[in-house]
Amino acid sequence: MTAAFTARVSAALTDPTLKTAIERTTGNARAKRAAAVAAWPSFEAARDLGRDIKDHVTQNLAFYLAAFERNALASGAQIHWARTADEACDIVVRLCRQAGATSVTRAKSMLGEEIGLPHALEAAGIARVETDLAEHIVQLAGDRPSHIVWPALHKTREQVREMFACLHHEPGGLDSVEAMVASARRELRQKFMRADVGISGANFLVADTGAICTVTNEGNAELTTTPPRVHIVTAGIEKLVPSTAHAMSLLRLLVRSATGAELTQYTTFHCGPKRADDADGPREFHIVLVDNGRTRMLTEGLEDMLRCLRCGACLNHCVVYRQIGGHAYGGTYPGPMGAVLTPVLDGLPTAQDLPRACTLNGLCAEVCPVKIPLPTLIKGWRNKSWRLGLEPRAVTLALRLWRFAATRPALYRLGTRLALPVLRLFARSGWARALPFASGWTGQRDFPAPARQSFLDQIKERRHDRA
Amino acid sequence: MTARDDIFAALPRAAGTAPHAEAAALLARVPALRPARVGPDQVASFLERLTGPVIAATATRLATRAEIPAAVRAYLAANTLGPQIALQPTQALQTLDWSGLTPHPTIAVDEPVSVCEADYAVAETASLVFRSSPHMPTLFAFLPLHHIVVLEAARIVPWLEDAAALEAARPAPRNLNFVTGASGTTDIEGTLVRGAHGPAHLHVLLIGGQMPAPAPQPANVP
Repeated sequence: MTAAFTARVSAALTDPTLKTAIERTTGNARAKRAAAVAAWPSFEAARDLGRDIKDHVTQNLAFYLAAFERNALASGAQIHWARTADEACDIVVRLCRQAGATSVTRAKSMLGEEIGLPHALEAAGIARVETDLAEHIVQLAGDRPSHIVWPALHKTREQVREMFACLHHEPGGLDSVEAMVASARRELRQKFMRADVGISGANFLVADTGAICTVTNEGNAELTTTPPRVHIVTAGIEKLVPSTAHAMSLLRLLVRSATGAELTQYTTFHCGPKRADDADGPREFHIVLVDNGRTRMLTEGLEDMLRCLRCGACLNHCVVYRQIGGHAYGGTYPGPMGAVLTPVLDGLPTAQDLPRACTLNGLCAEVCPVKIPLPTLIKGWRNKSWRLGLEPRAVTLALRLWRFAATRPALYRLGTRLALPVLRLFARSGWARALPFASGWTGQRDFPAPARQSFLDQIKERRHDRA
Repeated sequence: MTARDDIFAALPRAAGTAPHAEAAALLARVPALRPARVGPDQVASFLERLTGPVIAATATRLATRAEIPAAVRAYLAANTLGPQIALQPTQALQTLDWSGLTPHPTIAVDEPVSVCEADYAVAETASLVFRSSPHMPTLFAFLPLHHIVVLEAARIVPWLEDAAALEAARPAPRNLNFVTGASGTTDIEGTLVRGAHGPAHLHVLLIGGQMPAPAPQPANVP
């Protein structure tokens, strides 16, 4: 492991409140998702359909991208294209300046985080108001999101209370979560109405209408995209669906997998700017279509990952994410989907630790609503890392040693017979609190004492007893 | 090369024919695998979901549209709210008898109550659908604390695909809003709180349809 990753993981594992905070939110999410799935007998067939819809789009990406562009232009939208994160940010900053914007509101978008839009706006001197409650918390804390659905999941209510008391204009009592939410509502209310530009992402780009779809539970997306003069959308090109009807099938999967609800409170299709006589809505509607590595994924064996709906189920179920949280991953996307995407975005040398920070237990693939084979893709990065010579020397040596022994059964058996009693020497009442050469494990948790005999010896003994 | 050219050049060549048949074949699989959420009585299914523990909205059934103002007055009284209401600027609503209330056709940032009519609703998810227009300002569904929604029972469709079909048959509005319950957030420790930025309360006035039968009287025991 690289030193930076080790430091982030150690910080996470020794954080006194992080694990509790993670468990409160992800535990809740797992239970609600399980109930929603149990209430849908054909969930498996629906996942197959979700996979097939997204694959169909990937296989016809040029067709649907052109159709979306044509229909969006016809609706009065303005389309912009960005090859890279920097190009996308430059376009958004230029549009904000053209609009003479001093203040922009922003509804949470993972693509926006991916391209570094919050930073780009700040660098351009444009006041940015995050409107999703969790992003608001993260912005006040000068922090980074740690989950793709619940960005402030690492904050406890006590930490939020302290921050709101210092930074909100009319914090009020703040003695309950309800009071904290009410304080944020007061704080952001006027800012929604005063913004010059509203920026959102898109959960879907609907090819046959040119509309973009947003989903929120708070209603902040529509309050971000309706009052300002200009609405800017940043979206990855993989978000396409053929039609509104196809979006419905994916919405059923997305929302259940994310929060266990059947539909988010607010699901909105935005098509073009306000019509001439409309009572409200933005006069300008811009859509920035971003590649940022997606076309490369098509040719590098990662096309399955382009199905990802960003529901967060793989994070909520990942045994590693649940221990170390989102910040330890160091990229925009944490958890299993982050372990696959971050090497695309940041390069494998920088993100090499993420595919290794995985037990390959397969839970992520089991819960993925569009059946992305995440463990297979993670193994693909490990293979590449090996081929590029990025694997740490200690790991390659240990694996060579293991292979040498494993291909010589007699030697392997002798080795385990000798190792077992040694390991047992360190254990007290079933657990070892410290082991030589294994402080990475025992620093944070105990190691189970091994059985008295190796598996093979136990089998042999049982056969002998039976005979 | 522009960014657009580069992105298209990096994509596999589009097939000669448009992939419409394949896209349609995908949708043909939907009816067999939808969640079994809608019974033979769509209105009952809609109401059950709307007022169930997840969405937790409230509803009043009315026989005719003329009863709307009285139902609004009753709601305001029950929630100790003043007589000011932001009333959606449609003729059908504005021409009702609102005596005792002070309706206005615009909406303020801290509006306590708005009354507007849903274009239609979806039974599967108990979603109310609003289409932005000169007569439907989008913010009427997002700014008020209490959102009172008028819905004709005949305008409930069973599935989300039915909504998509209705929309495919007419020009898209700027905003097509599916509203499924009051605004909520679970962003602080996963605790659900209503009224995050949008309405904290959603109340539906359902007009017409088969009214529920009166509660059965206990049978006379001879």
